[in-house]
Amino acid sequence: MAEEFPFEISPMFEGERIRKDGMFVELAGPKAVGFELVSATDMDEVEDGKFTLIGPDISEMEEGARYPFAMTYKIAGELVEADLESIVERRNHEFQNYIQGMMHLNQRDDIWVRIGKDAIEKGLTSFEQVAKAIMMLFKNELPFIEKVEAVYYTDEAEINKEIESIRDIYTGRDERTRNLHDEDVDTFYGCSLCASFAPTSVCVITPDRIALCGAINWFDGRAAAKVDPEGPQFAIPKGDVIDAESGEYTGVNEVAEKLSSGEYDRIRLHSFLEYPHTSCGCFEVVGYYIPEVDGIGWVDRDFTGTAPNGLQFSTMAGQTGGGKQVVGFLGIGVQYFRSPKFIQADGGWDRVVWMPKMLKDKVSEDIPDYIRDKIATEEDVTDVESLRNFLKDKDHPILERWEEEEEVEKEASAAPQAEFTAPQAGFTASQMQMPTNFAPSAPMVGGGGGNGGVKVILKNAKMSVDRIIIKKLD
Amino acid sequence: MAKIIAVTGKGGTGKTAITTLLIRHLTRGSKIVLAVDADPDTNLPETLGCETNRSVGDIKEFMQEERDKLPPDSNKETILKSKLYEILEEMPGYDLVVMGRPEGSGCYCYINNLLRGIMDKLVNNYDVLIIDTEAGLEHFSRKIFRNVDDLVVVTDGSRRGLRTAERIRDLVGELETDVSSISVIANKVTDANRLVIAETAKELGLELIGMIPADEMISERDLAGEPLFDLPEESVAVQEIKKIAEKLGL
Repeated sequence: MAEEFPFEISPMFEGERIRKDGMFVELAGPKAVGFELVSATDMDEVEDGKFTLIGPDISEMEEGARYPFAMTYKIAGELVEADLESIVERRNHEFQNYIQGMMHLNQRDDIWVRIGKDAIEKGLTSFEQVAKAIMMLFKNELPFIEKVEAVYYTDEAEINKEIESIRDIYTGRDERTRNLHDEDVDTFYGCSLCASFAPTSVCVITPDRIALCGAINWFDGRAAAKVDPEGPQFAIPKGDVIDAESGEYTGVNEVAEKLSSGEYDRIRLHSFLEYPHTSCGCFEVVGYYIPEVDGIGWVDRDFTGTAPNGLQFSTMAGQTGGGKQVVGFLGIGVQYFRSPKFIQADGGWDRVVWMPKMLKDKVSEDIPDYIRDKIATEEDVTDVESLRNFLKDKDHPILERWEEEEEVEKEASAAPQAEFTAPQAGFTASQMQMPTNFAPSAPMVGGGGGNGGVKVILKNAKMSVDRIIIKKLD
Repeated sequence: MAKIIAVTGKGGTGKTAITTLLIRHLTRGSKIVLAVDADPDTNLPETLGCETNRSVGDIKEFMQEERDKLPPDSNKETILKSKLYEILEEMPGYDLVVMGRPEGSGCYCYINNLLRGIMDKLVNNYDVLIIDTEAGLEHFSRKIFRNVDDLVVVTDGSRRGLRTAERIRDLVGELETDVSSISVIANKVTDANRLVIAETAKELGLELIGMIPADEMISERDLAGEPLFDLPEESVAVQEIKKIAEKLGL
């Protein structure tokens, strides 16, 4: 097979760099236009193995010159679908690099290709040779491709004619990508880059949950895990859904137990208050629970002032990091604000009461319209009392939670002699540390309706509790 | 496998001039060189006569800033690699990359991780990698370069200068970077102190591989801000560099 081509094809040429000195021609790149595109097409629209060139061929090109360049491929097959297009484009990138004397960089409309003088000396005369090699590799390595056809362009006018519609195709793909959610995939990805300073932190990256450092999204995790499965990014099979709302999965819990060395064994990916995702310390934003209003405030790394709870970012960061599940604090990446599942187990945006102005402006478009003006900033309030008043003034949805509490309080005080009944609940707090001003005013015990239930109010408590056991008395 | 040489030393000792002359020597042979300017304070591009306008620091910033604007499934490694190739200055016989400014605030772990992988592969395309690095060896502590075959410390001939070399040798011991050999070049040496320098080096257990005399041709060009890359053969520094290059196996 390889004797057909005047060049060697091997993964060992993948990192080959063609320097200007050794270059025959440069194609596309930062100084010329170009693009690459794979289109999933119907079987009868593809002529298998056909190659068409629009514009000058390699043999007609001047040494040392630069030309515009575009590569398009049509693929067809029973299992071929649009989602595979970008994957096949990646392989085009890889395979062209496997060709000795050819270098392919970047992607989409930023591609940058060079052909070396040595390739010409060895007999490369036409793009057809390259295209045929690539099409052969496609069919060998990607069995879902049954038919493939290639069209290359080296004519600037023709390329410019196509490029707008090509860019629209890329944009369409991005739309679909943004619509990928946790429920659409089987595998999440973990990252252990921060493991050296937070050994028990387990970072789980999902389509709806970007890494808390903000640097790695689910696609990055997938790409990296594919290239180096034993590397810092690795696959986490989701397993079964335990609870979709809060984002709890059997596969994730297994990994959590293993990688945290038993420190914890449950993670609720979209919960703030229950089994929250741990942090190393690299988070971009930290959330903190404000018991006086039963709401959540956020502070980002750049905010140097003090939050309404009297603490600064650095202090709260200290509480939050270190790889332990700390109820009342959560470290996240800024993009998590954009997630449709943003802390949905705890009410999502309805629970957000305070953010620094700069951060609020930065993510303004991600805040639902109905609540944007009801979230206070340091320009509105700087302490909890004023925050309470602000939220009342603005009629923030959090008010509904206050009403619920007041109702329960009324009931309890109306029947002071009532039997003290409580549903059986074992609540082990051994794995959760209480931050110093933690005063939950909402019931923390899962009450299941019926009569009574029990409410535990701890105000200004500074304590660490090994176990709280609430038993039903018969 | 590319041979990796790092040239370090305090500012003012002439290490950038020496790096330039080593590159000059190598390119006159048939070796392909990758030159790395890893000292934000110096002017390796200027002494080489090769103007650059973008650095690795710039592209790291770019990746951080563009992060949220890039399509979610962009392959960041491929984009970063392409950006690195864009900033590589390609000259006859060598390519130059400038590391540039230190990192801003924010998390660079992931980017640095990608960059290490990209640099590893890039380096394989060259015969020699010469790094002009500041005395604090910051890029080594970050493991952008994982190992060094020869670490060359440039110093003036004073005892204090040679003790700096000693300190750098100790610093290297603390890094995880693998350094196969450490040697010293004394620069701007006069006849008067030649002997003393050799003795002091011996006393401190330093391997002295060259003593470069003060060179008029270099001082003139430094004064005028002109490149050193095309110094003529007659330059005394050039002559000494030839011998040094041989000792380094280049």
